[in-house]
This record gives sequence, C-alpha cells and structure tokens, in this order.
Amino acid sequence: MFTKVLIANRGEIALRVARTCRELGIATVGVYSTADRDPRVLRHFDEVVHIGPAQSKRSYQSTPAIIEAALQTGAQAIHPGYGFLSEDADFVEVCDEAGLVFIGPRPAQMSALGDKASARRIMSEAGLPLLPGSVEPSPDAAHALATAQRIGYPVIIKASAGGGGKGMAVVRGPEDLEKTFLQAKTVAASLFGDERVYLERYLERARHVEVQVLCDSHGNGVHLGTRDCSVQRRHQKLIEEGPAPALSPANAEDMATSAVLAALKVGYVGVCTFEFLLDERENHYFMEINTRIQVEHPVTEMITGVDLVREQILVAAGRKLAVSQEDIRLSGVAVECRVNGEDPDRDFVPTAGVLERFDPPGGPFTRVDTHAFTGYVLSPHYDSMVAKVIVWAPDRDQALNRMDRALAEFTVDGPGVKTTVPFLRRVLADREFRAAGHSTGLVDRVQAEGNRAERQAK
Amino acid sequence: MAPQQEHADGDALAGLRAQTLRLAGDLPGALRRLSVRSGDAVIEVEWQESATGTPVLAPAVPVAVLAAEPVTEHDDESMVVRSPMVGTAYHAPSPGQPPFVKVGDMVEAGQTVLIVEAMKLFNPIVAEETGVVLELLVADGEPVEFEQPLLRLKTSADEAADVH
Repeated sequence: MFTKVLIANRGEIALRVARTCRELGIATVGVYSTADRDPRVLRHFDEVVHIGPAQSKRSYQSTPAIIEAALQTGAQAIHPGYGFLSEDADFVEVCDEAGLVFIGPRPAQMSALGDKASARRIMSEAGLPLLPGSVEPSPDAAHALATAQRIGYPVIIKASAGGGGKGMAVVRGPEDLEKTFLQAKTVAASLFGDERVYLERYLERARHVEVQVLCDSHGNGVHLGTRDCSVQRRHQKLIEEGPAPALSPANAEDMATSAVLAALKVGYVGVCTFEFLLDERENHYFMEINTRIQVEHPVTEMITGVDLVREQILVAAGRKLAVSQEDIRLSGVAVECRVNGEDPDRDFVPTAGVLERFDPPGGPFTRVDTHAFTGYVLSPHYDSMVAKVIVWAPDRDQALNRMDRALAEFTVDGPGVKTTVPFLRRVLADREFRAAGHSTGLVDRVQAEGNRAERQAK
Repeated sequence: MAPQQEHADGDALAGLRAQTLRLAGDLPGALRRLSVRSGDAVIEVEWQESATGTPVLAPAVPVAVLAAEPVTEHDDESMVVRSPMVGTAYHAPSPGQPPFVKVGDMVEAGQTVLIVEAMKLFNPIVAEETGVVLELLVADGEPVEFEQPLLRLKTSADEAADVH
C-alpha cells in the first residue's frame, strides 16, 4: 500500500481524495497554483507544493510541475481527480517513467476507452447498440455531409477526444453542416489537441443514463448501479440521481452487464463510467466512457455504501476487489445537485468574487462536498463549482424533498456572486421532473418558462 | 521577512510586522523561509530541512486581514529572483564546476545566476536586472517551488541612487 499520495487537482475533488487518504492512513501532498494559495484549503493536506501560476496549463495541467512535486516530496502515487490530467495517457506514461503509480487506468486502456471513436468501435464489436452515425471520425466536410444525409437530421458533431460536455455541436439541417463541422474541428483541436470529430444522430428527447464500473488488476469487475444525468445544460450535468428512475430492471441489468464485460475485455483497472442515451421507447444506445472518477460519484457512494476513491486507490496498489457483484446491494435513492457560482438569470454566466457568506446545509442524510467557506474567493481562473450537495432517502420523493430542504438552507452570498441554487429548486419543483418523465431538454424548458414568467410579471 | 515599503497605511503594516515577529519567536527551530502577504492574509513558514530532507510547508497560520495594499517584491533595497517552476536549484552548471555567481558578484541583466532542473531539463535562471548578488537564498541541489525566492540582488539603479 502507498504511504504517500500526491493529489494532482484542486477544489472539492482534491479535498475529497485527501479525506479518503487520511482514512486509509496515507499521507497526502497537495499542490496549488498562485490563485489557490489559501491556507484554509491547504490545511487539508499533510504537505503542499506551490506548482505554478494561476493559468492551469502551467500548474494543474503541467506534467513537469506535477511530476517534480511528486518526486520532491517522495510520493509514490498520483491521484488525478477529474479534469486536468485525469484522462491524459501521455501523463500516465511519464508517471511510469518516473516510477510513480498513476491512480487510474493504464495508458493503453485509457486510450482505447477514453477516445470516443475507439470506444464506439469496441462497444459496437461487443454487440452494444450505437446511435446511427459514423463509428470512425469524419475526415472532411463531404464525408460528414454524406453521413448526415444517411442518418437524418438533427445530428450531433462530437470531438473524438472530447469530454465534460465540451466540443459538441448540434446541426439541424444540411445548410449548417459544413460550417459547424469545420468549427467543431477547430474547437476540438484547441480544446483537446486533437481535431478528429464524428457524427451521431441527435435525440431531441433523450435520457442520459450511466453505469458505474469498478475493476481490479486480477480480472475482476463489478458494476455499482445506474445514475440518471438527464438534467443538463449545454451537455453539462446539473442534477444527477441514482438509481436511474423509470428504467426497467431488465434494461438496467443489460446495460450494466455489457459495461462490465467491455471493461474486462480491454483489461481495464480502476473506476470508469459507461454513458448511454435512452430514447422515448427506452431503447438504449452506447455513447461514451469516462475513464476517471466523476463529479457525480457520491450518488453511487450513497446508494452502495462503497467509497469509490478508496477502491480506486486499493486497486491501483494491486489489491483484489473485496466485493463481488452479489455483495453490492443498492439501497434507496441518492440525488446530487451541483451548486455553481453562476447567474441563471444571465444565461449562467460565471460570477467570481468573495463569498462573504457561505452557509452550507446540514441535516439527516445530507452530504456537502466543497472546498469553499466564508471568505473564500471564487476564482475566475477555474470552473465555477462551489459545492455539491448530495442527499439520500429511502425513495425518490423523499430524496427530492430532502434536496429541496437542503438547498433552501444553503446561503452563498457576496458582491456580484450568484449561484444556481434558485434554478435548481425550480427544476426540483418541475412536474415532469417529479414524475421522472423528463429528458435532456428539461433545463432549456425550465429556463424558457422562467424567462416567460419574468416578462409577464413586468 | 518579505520586503516592505513605506505605506500610507503604515499602522497596518506595523501591526503585520509585529504579529510576524511574535509568530517567528513562538515557532520552534530555525526558520528557513517566511513569507507574509497582507492581501489575502497569508503567513507561510518553512523550517530548516525536515527529517526526510523534503521541503515541508507548515500549516500556514491565518491572520486577520490587515491591509489591502500588496507588499511589493521590488523595494528600494534589492530585487529578488524567483523560481519560475517547481524543480531543483543548482548553483553550478554541473557538479565540481565553479558556481554561476557568488555573493558580492556583479551580474548583468540576462546573465545566468542559477539553474533549476525540472524533469531532466535544465532551465537557466537569469537576472532580470543588473546588480550585485546580496544573498543566495537556496542551497545547491535544494528542491524549490514555483515563485520561491532564489537569490537577492542589489540593483544598479539602487547603487546609482546611493551615489546621489
């Protein structure tokens, strides 16, 4: 087992990982940029290293800075969290060369499953249904036009190397295709350093359901149930819940089983998530695989009682999974809301600034994962997430009521600072959402209704 | 102590200075580095080499916010050359060779004063201004963090000022 782990991340996930390390008796090394040098955050680590300026390319995303910090402090392993270097196969290879264990998949498996086009090929070969589209990236606009003609509009153009909802564009007719295709390529190249994009049929009223998978290096793998992440804004998740509601057990089992088989087939080690889209008739289509711990992992932790970060660390250290599929019992319903420092009334523009008041909720079965506190400066340099609120209850109704109660308790205030809390509460109150009849179009509709109500009030 | 200037709000700075001195007196062992900021009220303390030979930043002690004015790097005494990266600082181009600079040496702007190795790449650290080396702030082969002070120079501009 490791005695010291460097956490190559910031914000709530860095603290989340540090807490589990402490529970495992592992010393932690935190890293921080100039923008993040707040001692009230850094006290969560046993040692800290200043790795670079605010710009993440030169700090949290800088391979040399992270590796040097690990070597200097004598860390044996690096936990990448999510984002930054978490899905960078080159970084894993550099860790190998430096004699550091990367807590995550091996580079070959990361590339095979993390690349959307390659993952689609693997899953297609494994017999999983894909949305109509091009399995391989489209080389040029003519090919893309022909593909769109074949599968029918609307289509979505996605970056092969994309993730986190970035690098996607919906095209509704042939007149916009060429321009959007070329734009998507440029965006993909600048965001991911890889200009390959592919096309898929775009489902207007889809549900987003995903399966959490965990594998060790001894050929064992389990799934930990489903999550529904249909409440999205521009492909960014706002509310996640588990298990996915209104999903037939047979369908859930089918998705989960094929996910575990596919992960084992490529020799995957660690946690990963298989994402599916479901149409109105509950047909499921494989979408992509996330080869890292995800923002919404606490939902699964709450319904399974499994600490996913702990399992990640144990399997990275070579341990066998302590649980088999029969040991995993799903209990109750968990919901997570992401509280972002954004203004929903101004199209969710990020609102950086000092949090003069930060009073997170408490109460029964209520978990708040955050790095913020009263006096914290929400930095314009990084993403706008302030906290994640996660609640558990025996059934969905109680869980949604509990979440609304928790959000009502949450006060975040400061000059110019707004949060998504009021908007999240509007979604929680939505009749379609309450009835679990919603799709990925929910957020746009709730936002449009809010704008209409506001205009009428004036 | 971080270099300081005379400020209009000298009271606040005096308070900060007094608190820092009191803190330094209370801490065990010899200090290696003490960095004070007043903007976000940070005091960072680094002791002599820890038992494992790795740099250890002690849990920083939050203090009440005192003054909004930033403490500048470049006061009228000297300027500090800082590390642009995490790495290992070396005084000489390779073991056994004479150091790039010694205390008392005159250096030109653009002259290499140290190297910082990061992932087997040797990065020359150059003086941004012409001046005289007042102090080497890191030992040869010592691990350094981003922005860690490496060397202090008495700048030629200051010398010119001294003449008048």
